[in-house]
Amino acid sequence: MATTTPTKTKKMAMHEALNQALREEMLRDPQVLVLGEEVGLYNGVHYVTRGLYSEFGPERVMDTPISEESFVGVGVGMALMGYRPVVEMMRMDFSLRAMDQIYNHMAKIHYMSGGDLKVPMVLRGPEGPGPNPGLTAQHGQQLTLLFAHCPGLRVVTPSNQYDAKGMLKAAIRCDDPVVFLEPGPLNNKQGDVGEDDYLVPLDQAEIRREGTDVTLIGYGASVALCLQAARELERSGVSAAVVDMRSLRPLDMAPAYASVERTNRAVVVEYAWQSYGPGAEIVARLMRDAFWNLEAPVLRVSGKETPLPYAANLEELSKPQVEEIVSAAQQTLK
Amino acid sequence: MSTSSEPVISDRVAESPEKLRTLLRRMMTIREFEHLGEREFRNGLIRGYYHSYAGQEAVGVGFIEAMDLTRDYIVDHYRDHGHCLAVGLDAVNIYAELFGRRAGVSKGKGGSMHMYNQEKHFLGGDGIVGGGISVATGVGLALKRMGKGGLCVCFFGDGALDTGTFHESLNMASLWDVPIVYICINNQFSMGTRLDRHSSLTQLVDRAAGYGMATEQIDGQDIGVTLAAAERIFAGVRERQRPVFIEALTYRYQGHGIHDKPHNYRTPEEEDPWIHRDPLLILGQRLIEEKIMTGEQIEAMRQEVAAELEAKVEAAKQSPAPEDRELYEDVTL
Ligand SMILES: Cc1ncc(C[n+]2csc(CCOP(=O)(O)OP(=O)(O)O)c2C)c(N)n1
Repeated sequence: MATTTPTKTKKMAMHEALNQALREEMLRDPQVLVLGEEVGLYNGVHYVTRGLYSEFGPERVMDTPISEESFVGVGVGMALMGYRPVVEMMRMDFSLRAMDQIYNHMAKIHYMSGGDLKVPMVLRGPEGPGPNPGLTAQHGQQLTLLFAHCPGLRVVTPSNQYDAKGMLKAAIRCDDPVVFLEPGPLNNKQGDVGEDDYLVPLDQAEIRREGTDVTLIGYGASVALCLQAARELERSGVSAAVVDMRSLRPLDMAPAYASVERTNRAVVVEYAWQSYGPGAEIVARLMRDAFWNLEAPVLRVSGKETPLPYAANLEELSKPQVEEIVSAAQQTLK
Repeated sequence: MSTSSEPVISDRVAESPEKLRTLLRRMMTIREFEHLGEREFRNGLIRGYYHSYAGQEAVGVGFIEAMDLTRDYIVDHYRDHGHCLAVGLDAVNIYAELFGRRAGVSKGKGGSMHMYNQEKHFLGGDGIVGGGISVATGVGLALKRMGKGGLCVCFFGDGALDTGTFHESLNMASLWDVPIVYICINNQFSMGTRLDRHSSLTQLVDRAAGYGMATEQIDGQDIGVTLAAAERIFAGVRERQRPVFIEALTYRYQGHGIHDKPHNYRTPEEEDPWIHRDPLLILGQRLIEEKIMTGEQIEAMRQEVAAELEAKVEAAKQSPAPEDRELYEDVTL
């Protein structure tokens, strides 16, 4: 997909960047429509669809009942007919209700039809413990793995506001079904966003920071933790590179391999539970393809393997910490 | 039992003055509890979600009063503080949960939406809309097998009727003769979406009637009505071992959650008739009419309840946070 570089940028929250992407794509293509809970009249619980209902009306911005399984299916059906539905999950946790539609229909119809049918739809929503604290066990989960596990889906997650806009636009124009995971902790965070029409590719990882001693690999909200850890490591004389995976299916390992060739060490960082997660897949690929460049075992820093607890101290403890990344990085250098 | 879609105005029960005073006090406790809870949210002691029960007190207090909690069970949804109080949990432990403290109902690990208590037969507190409905059906089936005449009461909102699991569960309950009472607390809104914008039928009894169970729509504002209906319906369920669906008409005064501003999607004018039929007001007026209490005594009771709850807030604040090691307790790693 062609990418363009915007000429002007403006600071805005990630939800505003996503809102711009939706608005621009709806203006550009009348087949694009939005559906989900409270996306219309209410303007979206996380503000992503703000203003779209009044601008585009109830035919293109549809408030749905609390019927996740079936309104994801409605999205699949409309996509089969040539529309480009963007289906919002108020929180990605609620997609668990819709897993049959996601796994068995959205992901597979293109393949099962021998390529005859296409499902150009986007399933999007916030995941993980944020933007606000106290989301607890059923609302703040990081379920990235469930989507990334399923062939047929593209699974992407932006780590910053600029990518959020460009990647959502690319996702809407993509003919494949895309699961677009919005890092909850970043929803209200500000950053530079291109003002004009630009796309960011859906299948390319990116080196966010060059370094020579250790490579920190993250995706979504964990990239910010890696960057913070890299700044702290710099103070103690360690040069850390940061790789933003951006897409989890397909998984673009090339930038990570290139960085590890220089640093010979890696730490994979994620909010998700560790066992069997995307980080496990990244480590397995490093083992296979970068083994001879590694000087130390690849370490991991993850969300703790418990349901998200409520108490403030436990909640904080359950998330991946910058200090844990710093100490893992130092351990690879011992 | 009727299957009509008209509200059934059952006769109020002739309860003893003592009982009526107790019921008023319980509803007041819930109202004041939420009031102070919201204040503590704004003070930063409570984080995440806070769904107030204010306005809906006559539903929970009426139905729970009629239960036999030595053998009956409750499965609730996330708007659960009022029901926790009604089953007799101490406000200290509920506040402590909201503050994320060790003394909390769920040891500080669950938060507002996830209160559970085995002893009081209170099985949550569920954050997933409709998530408790099938669980409640299983609880009801177990109670039937156990043969002690127990029944399950399942509370949820009007929004939950839009989930598949609602329909699947009612079908099974009817098929298997489960002693369960499904209570839809129809407060007119699913978050910011008015009933007629999310439900194809606005008489919600009609959406349940297709499963061959008795349904009944009741006035959820008058505790005389909810209590009388509950006593009659529970007796019928125990005897017939059949499920029943209740639609209790009521209103939530606050936003859906604490951050929600209801005047973005409803007007103060439309709230008026509901506020004029406030459950505390209706019972208060009855107590005055029946010369059981004076207006001054009611106000004094309210102040006493508020002062008691202030003390509970303070007591809850004294509880320590859970210890770090508790993060890994009660879970298979
Ligand atoms: C499966 C699922 N989808 C969406 C949500 C988000 N959500 C929480 S409450 C709610 C509205 C429910 O309204 P209703 O069932 O009428 O109950 P009320 O809040 O009015 O008591 C929504 C959409 C959720 N918790 N679970």
